[in-house]
Amino acid sequence: MTMTDTALSEELASRRDMIECVGVKKWFGDFQALGGIDLTVKEQEVMVVLGPSGSGKSTLIRCINRLEVHQEGTIVVDGIELTNDLRNIDKIRSEVGMVFQQFNLFPHLTVIDNITLAPIWVRKKSKVEALRVARELLERVGIPEQAEKFPGQLSGGQQQRVAIARSLAMEPNIMLFDEPTSALDPEMISEVLDVMKGLAESGMTMVVVTHEMGFAREVADRLVFMEDGMVVEINNPEDFFTNPKSERTQLFLSQIL
Amino acid sequence: MTDSINTAPATDNLDALIAANAPPEIPTHGAVDWMKKNLFSSISTTVQTFLFITLLVLILRWLLGLIFDPEASWDSVATNMRLLFTYNYPADQFIRIWFTVGALLTAVGLTIAAWGVDPKLSVKKLGGNLVGVGALIAIMGIIAPASSTIKTGMIVVGVLIAVLGYGISRVLGEQKISFFPFLLVVAGFWLAVLWLVPFGRNEFIDGAVSNLPGTINPSTKIPWTILILLFLGSVLAGRALVTVIKPQALRLTMIAWWVVGPAFLIFLVLRDPQFDYDKVLRTDVPWALGFAIIGGAILYWLAKPGVGEIGRLFAASATLFALFNWVAAFAGWYSMLQKVRLSFLVFALFALAAPTFAGERSVRLKFVYAWVGTVAIGHWLITGINTVSTLDIAAPPFLGGFTLSMVIAYYVMLASFPLGIILALARTSKLPIFRLLSTLYIEFVRGVPLITILFFFSIMVNLFLPGGMELAELAAIFLGYALFSAAYMAENVRGGLQSIRVGQYEASDALGLTTSQRTIFIVLPQALRVTIPNLVGQAIGTFKETSLIAIVGGFDLLNVAKQSIPNQPDFLGQNKPALLFICAIYWAGSYSMSRASRNLETKLGVGTR
Amino acid sequence: MAAATPSSLVPDRAMHHKRPPFWRNVGVLKWVVQIVVLLLVIGAFWFLSTQALSNLDDKGIPVDYNWMSGPANIQLGEGIDTVPNSAGRALWSGMVTTLRLAGAGIVASTILGVLIGLARLSNNWLANRAAGTFIETLRNIPVLVQMLLWFAILTSLGDLVNNDPETAANEESGPIPGWLYISKKGISLPRFFWADGFYQWLVFLIVGGAIAMFVRRRIQAKQNLVGGTAPTASVPLAIFAAFAVVGWFINPVVGGIGNVFDAMESAWGSIPESGMRIFLSVAAVAAAALWIKRFLDSKRSPAGLAKLTDDDYFRMIFAGVAALAFMAFAWRVWPGGASWLINSGSDFWGWLGDKFGNGRNARPLDGMRPTINEGRFSNYGPTGWTMTVFFGSLFLGLVLYTASFIAEIVRGGILAVPKGQTEAAMALGLSRVQALRKVILPQAFRVIMPPLGNQYLNITKNTSLAIAVGLSDVVQVGQTVYNKNNQTLAVFGIWMAFYLICSLTISAIVNFVNGRLAIVER
Repeated sequence: MTMTDTALSEELASRRDMIECVGVKKWFGDFQALGGIDLTVKEQEVMVVLGPSGSGKSTLIRCINRLEVHQEGTIVVDGIELTNDLRNIDKIRSEVGMVFQQFNLFPHLTVIDNITLAPIWVRKKSKVEALRVARELLERVGIPEQAEKFPGQLSGGQQQRVAIARSLAMEPNIMLFDEPTSALDPEMISEVLDVMKGLAESGMTMVVVTHEMGFAREVADRLVFMEDGMVVEINNPEDFFTNPKSERTQLFLSQIL
Repeated sequence: MTDSINTAPATDNLDALIAANAPPEIPTHGAVDWMKKNLFSSISTTVQTFLFITLLVLILRWLLGLIFDPEASWDSVATNMRLLFTYNYPADQFIRIWFTVGALLTAVGLTIAAWGVDPKLSVKKLGGNLVGVGALIAIMGIIAPASSTIKTGMIVVGVLIAVLGYGISRVLGEQKISFFPFLLVVAGFWLAVLWLVPFGRNEFIDGAVSNLPGTINPSTKIPWTILILLFLGSVLAGRALVTVIKPQALRLTMIAWWVVGPAFLIFLVLRDPQFDYDKVLRTDVPWALGFAIIGGAILYWLAKPGVGEIGRLFAASATLFALFNWVAAFAGWYSMLQKVRLSFLVFALFALAAPTFAGERSVRLKFVYAWVGTVAIGHWLITGINTVSTLDIAAPPFLGGFTLSMVIAYYVMLASFPLGIILALARTSKLPIFRLLSTLYIEFVRGVPLITILFFFSIMVNLFLPGGMELAELAAIFLGYALFSAAYMAENVRGGLQSIRVGQYEASDALGLTTSQRTIFIVLPQALRVTIPNLVGQAIGTFKETSLIAIVGGFDLLNVAKQSIPNQPDFLGQNKPALLFICAIYWAGSYSMSRASRNLETKLGVGTR
Repeated sequence: MAAATPSSLVPDRAMHHKRPPFWRNVGVLKWVVQIVVLLLVIGAFWFLSTQALSNLDDKGIPVDYNWMSGPANIQLGEGIDTVPNSAGRALWSGMVTTLRLAGAGIVASTILGVLIGLARLSNNWLANRAAGTFIETLRNIPVLVQMLLWFAILTSLGDLVNNDPETAANEESGPIPGWLYISKKGISLPRFFWADGFYQWLVFLIVGGAIAMFVRRRIQAKQNLVGGTAPTASVPLAIFAAFAVVGWFINPVVGGIGNVFDAMESAWGSIPESGMRIFLSVAAVAAAALWIKRFLDSKRSPAGLAKLTDDDYFRMIFAGVAALAFMAFAWRVWPGGASWLINSGSDFWGWLGDKFGNGRNARPLDGMRPTINEGRFSNYGPTGWTMTVFFGSLFLGLVLYTASFIAEIVRGGILAVPKGQTEAAMALGLSRVQALRKVILPQAFRVIMPPLGNQYLNITKNTSLAIAVGLSDVVQVGQTVYNKNNQTLAVFGIWMAFYLICSLTISAIVNFVNGRLAIVER
């Protein structure tokens, strides 16, 4: 009996696979960042990845988006395997949205241009349509009045919400969040988390690397604990926090809570 | 650019190293106090003061001795103004020159308006500068080794300027004036100089020097008066225009104009091609139409989102075909109009770029319009260049003197810009062979002097071309200079590329932008903005180094001064006045560019973000 | 690892890789594109060079370097050899003139630039403004125009009048007749020169210097243990001075060293040509192999060999290809290279040997005063240190132009040291001079060195403008040579190689100094 199986509720197990990782390994020079990751994310699932810094969480989700190229193993996203195939990379990039710790908005473009750039040039939408969607999304993340400003004129929380809107404008099936609140001042964290909660409720498949335990407990369908490039434990939130199976998870939780 | 900008680094270290960056205040309350503070604050500064006074008096007197040398004939400069600025351009065709200058000044005015250049100038600072200039003139009048009339004149003028400066800084005080009134004052000053100052009328009449007293020739001062007014008018017109259309639209128009316009002025206005309309209608127009229509249709198809690999394959084969045309031309397998070969090459570039600019209908149409515009302008220019000129000039370079220097400097910068960007991208690329090739090129070019490269191109280019093909010497020199400049440009652009955070690349990748889309929409706009001050620096260097063309035999400003004028029978051996005069021209050009660059740097806030 | 058995979840189709077709495979495509571009570049080079060779062939110009040893039939304006017996010798003379000009320019513009930079930072209004005006004026006028202006000014100076003792004293020219002349023929000063005994004296200096360094280290080691002040400067200096003084008088004693060099000369000269070639090939292969081994070692860690990227493989392949290319060069492209290496090595030892030995018992250094012959400075025989108007105009133009840039670099470097550093040094009780020497300057140097090195490169490259006034530098001599024998391509090759070697040497020195400064600072 493996941990993976126990963590999956029956309802979840019946759903379609969105992300499948099998034996994923990755080295940086002679440092092994991922030591054979096996993981499956189901459709409409919210998976939160936890772990100490340097444990390979970010590397994992960057491999899913092929920002990093894994060297061994297989990653299949929405039925498309990540290989060197030009066509697949393009397809996956435009179907998987990603939100970064440092926002990474384009400072030379206005907020609205930041959001419409990729829909126009990658999704080949008309400008009118792209603008309409962008305004809707700004409405959804709660900052419709900032459309014509430059990123440098916004607060951190606002910038991160624009970054989320920018990813959503590509109409992705999966959203990856790489510590989205770590670079924010404490008073701005909740405004970003609220947007993420809303997104989860709308049924988006999400993989979230975060240190926000409250968010993890409330929103996640499953929690993954990683250490030294390996998956240590996969569990449902309830058991993860109250009854962790692994000693290392217990140690981690005792340090952090 | 909301945050306040402070470009001056932290200063005042040790006493001796304290930076007096800002100009000292004007001695408004007590000259004695000021001198105590700034000249005699301690024994060492007092010693310094006397040392520098002695040095400055000696140097100034020696410099003024060069100017007031009884053996120096300043007529050699005054009479040869036309030679210095336009070389052999026929006098009866001068209306073309005036038209060109007018077009350029209008464009400058519109550009100023499009970018909303409106620095607020401090009256106090202006007044202070005037006081300084006036004092300097007066001091020079005192120590100049010249006749007492000149000395008195200089002292009087100097004192007048100083008093004027002191007066306006006292009366207007802390006020700031905006740009246009300042332009008006400057224009008024130049008009007064044109119409009032008795420079004398110097010219060659039937080969003999004519030297009459009075103000400048009417044939010079009337066009300049019109041009100055035209410039002021264009600034006003531009300002009115940006209230009607978007400034962004005017900016794009002006950028396009600055890329294409000078070529029109040079090759179609100044050179005046004698079109053979029968031939134009039979061959040139059909070719241009063919490329525009068929090429446009193919590009419209290529820019469709779903074209995929077939499109790429097509673009790749179009590129190979375009390159093969050149190989065939070199090897002599089949011939083709140069223009057609070039058009195929440009078409291949557009085809390769098509996936980058692919999109829905309106986006694709824009792409096709760009192609049609390129074809139209390109074909018109090439036809014009390849047609004989109506001008009656024996030697092929119809430009010379200052005009040639400017044209070369401008086009070297323009041509080395895309080359430099490509080299910089290759040098920062992840692909090792590209990096290696680019690094080898850049380091090789930067390791050898410009003059050897100019020699190489002026003598050797035709050696490398197959029989029957030739490149005019000036074109070869230009090519060499542009290839040289590209290496330096690449290093400047690389600096900008390195300033871009890795997160920008990751965000673009995560959004699914292709590598070329990422480069064009995200990386380059940010990198080039950071690079602008360095680019201005390079432009200054390029402008100064056009003087090297004189060594390889081009008749630029320097060559006129060092060779043409001292060889005229009337001014045999008179090289010092002309050299001093071109020093002033080069200085004015470089200095104003560097000042503009410094202001721009402050405005962009480079180094503060 | 218990967490890693998800077999039930992963469908079979994901287990095996589907290789994409090559035209969509990024890993393949990026190499295809690179290799295509590389082939295009090589093809263009090949095409252009065959064109050039066939064009030269049509004109009947042979492409080789044999003309280098042929007669030159040219006379140079100045240099180490004004009537060279071969074209190669003429070019060598031009190179020495270029190096002299560059060296003198670097030293003088550094001194002037630092002075003006400091004046720019002075709190004396006049010094500050004068320095600012100097900088803003000179750096905005092209250096070539400045050189030509200096040439025009220097050539309009007064004539040089004979100072023959027979003629009346009032006909002598120069500010200080017999000692200093400034005229349209140039500037001449008395000079010191290395006389016959110099190299033998140099042996004493080197030995004395080494002993002094050794003693200094011992004293310092002792001081580190004991503390307090120790004679770290005075005692070594005294030792060095003693060697210098004694060596001055007894230097002929070491004349026998010349025999060692003579032996080296004959030993080097007897190396067989194929032996040299084999040695070079083995050295190249060994260097490449060593480099690859080092590279692989650097990728190895306790955890084993790291995954090598394409880039790593490319580098290793490149090292191998470079070694092969070098071998091809030594055996095929320039077969005479080995014998050239042998000959010039042997010549070098012979030259060293000549500097020692019999008859060399004069003083190490000697002095001379300028002499004038028929309205010009004597070129041969005892004469002063003369700077011709050609050299002088280049020198003045280069130095003043470059000094204006160096002044700005120095000023920027010192301003770049944060104010807090000075305050901290003062708070520690360091004196002004100590603060400047130990705190400010080391930090300022790190900012100053890279752009200063760039200026040195610029000076070296700008010496090529000598041709504008007709100074016999390497470019001017080269032009004279190819105007005579049409060997343009070969002369261009020599120019490029010469300037590239100069540039690489200067950047290597600057990088070395900068590296040292960075370590010292840590």
